[in-house]
Amino acid sequence: MSDATLQADRARPPVSPFVERLKERLFPTPLSGLLSALGIAAALWIAFVLIRWAFLDATFTGTPEDCQQTTGACWAVISARWRLMFFGLYPYELHWRSGIAGLILIAVIVASCVPVFWSATRLALLWVVSFALFWIIMHGGVFGLETVTEEKWGGLTLSIFIFCGTALVGMPLAIVLALLRRSRYPLVAKVAAVLIDTVRSLPLVTILFTVSILLPILMPDMPLSKISRVILGMALFFAAYQAEIIRSGIQSLPVGQEEAAKALGLGYWHRMTRVVLPQAFRRALPPTISQFAISFKEVALVIIIGVFDFLASGNAAYGSGEWAFTYVEVYVFLAFVYFLFVFSLSRYGAYLERRMRVGK
Amino acid sequence: MTVAVSISHVDKFYGSFKVLHDVSLNVNEGEKVVICGPSGSGKSTLIRCINQLEEHQSGDIAVLGRTIDGQGKHIDFIRRDVGMVFQNFNLFPHMTILENCVLAPMLTRKTPREEAEAIAMQYLERVRIPEQANKYPGELSGGQQQRVAIARALCMKPKVMLFDEPTSALDPEMISEVLDVMVGLAEEGMTMLCVTHEMGFARQVADKVIFMDQGRIVETAPPEEFFSAPKNARTRDFLSQVLAH
Repeated sequence: MSDATLQADRARPPVSPFVERLKERLFPTPLSGLLSALGIAAALWIAFVLIRWAFLDATFTGTPEDCQQTTGACWAVISARWRLMFFGLYPYELHWRSGIAGLILIAVIVASCVPVFWSATRLALLWVVSFALFWIIMHGGVFGLETVTEEKWGGLTLSIFIFCGTALVGMPLAIVLALLRRSRYPLVAKVAAVLIDTVRSLPLVTILFTVSILLPILMPDMPLSKISRVILGMALFFAAYQAEIIRSGIQSLPVGQEEAAKALGLGYWHRMTRVVLPQAFRRALPPTISQFAISFKEVALVIIIGVFDFLASGNAAYGSGEWAFTYVEVYVFLAFVYFLFVFSLSRYGAYLERRMRVGK
Repeated sequence: MTVAVSISHVDKFYGSFKVLHDVSLNVNEGEKVVICGPSGSGKSTLIRCINQLEEHQSGDIAVLGRTIDGQGKHIDFIRRDVGMVFQNFNLFPHMTILENCVLAPMLTRKTPREEAEAIAMQYLERVRIPEQANKYPGELSGGQQQRVAIARALCMKPKVMLFDEPTSALDPEMISEVLDVMVGLAEEGMTMLCVTHEMGFARQVADKVIFMDQGRIVETAPPEEFFSAPKNARTRDFLSQVLAH
């Protein structure tokens, strides 16, 4: 390299490293440069079409007729029908009760995620109180609140309620099943294993049919309502999978952990609750978060046994003639709400993992 | 002299493999016993039978006057008075050092937290790492972790301490810090059973040294005699190997 070119190199104005890197990645040769340019153009075009549809040309309020005059999305259906989607067939003038009840559950879910509440007694207290509150507000019949029977519950509030019930009944059941399957008594371990494997072999839909249709026929005096039976069925299903997740966490611990706890004289219960399970849950956190996400979305299956959940209410929201053409908008909205819930859950899982790594 | 640990005619099998053959051993209160032998000789299994991390099939084991009868509750009582230190430390990684130390006293002895923490700090000071109390085990070196493990066992105020190769997993430069703590403990009169290959330690503190091979106690002797005039040929073989370097 001659002195002259060296000089020229130095004289060149400094280029920011970001631009430099972009150039290197996207336009290394003429052919890949061309493909990059085409790709970028296509992406921009899709983004533009979507934005035009969703925002620029969209109708946000008004009647179905207002919508049909434009080519964009008809969000007016959401502002006209959001109450149906959130509250289902709950009496219109009492929607505030369903709203408050749903918010209580969401608040308690969020509170349960805060480490301050992480003790068995605090969590139990929190959930017992909130379920009692939920029942009083939702069902009424006390404190001068008008009674609204479970058949009229619906929408997002009901979906969240079924999910919370499933997780709350299912998680303790999962822990019990996981521990039983590791029992030192072969018979107990076998029974737990057969139970878990049986439930896992059944589709959730058959379990839902069994609890909603078969059970009342077999046991006509069944004191449980349909929604509670659905929750119990879903909890059983959840527990079968979650038990195996917890067990995998337990199996992954070094044997020395339980031995050290034994050597200190801790009894079985203390060994499990203080030493084994806390570590097993840390290790099994990623699949546990997945299981929660799956269960939240599986609630939508109750539509087939005639429970009016969020998805069913969404179907009803556009199903009534005048709004029939807005099904895309309704499903986009439903998807968005599901996304909000499950994506927050995933981010929370990621936060937990970071937080727990500190203690390792 | 009262007997702290009495083992008589104990047999132990893993499946059809016999790990312990008719082993008998008495350890008096305040006595320090070092058990050595080639790997697979059953020395770890023997001390793990004392707190029933391994169940024996025949023979009797009595600890501090209580015979082990296979009942879970009784075994828990015995374990509270018998501290154990493991090769791999086995600290609870999800708890701080202090929490590791107060867990068992608070749960099993119902010691109030303040008192349990005071006792824990006292023992952490004794193993010379009080400043690490609020760290997690993963943040400590191997030698520090093993010293915490000793402190954790001491917090239960045990009458007997079992050491299962406490220095075997340590880097060489950390072995002496752990041995120093053990020597200190021995000087205070703790009843100790140590499975170890640290012959210097055995010479310094042991009242008797036991050599095991193939599941049997081959030789028992005071250290001076054990090291200078071993009677058994296998003992001599073993000693020539461990003392060679």
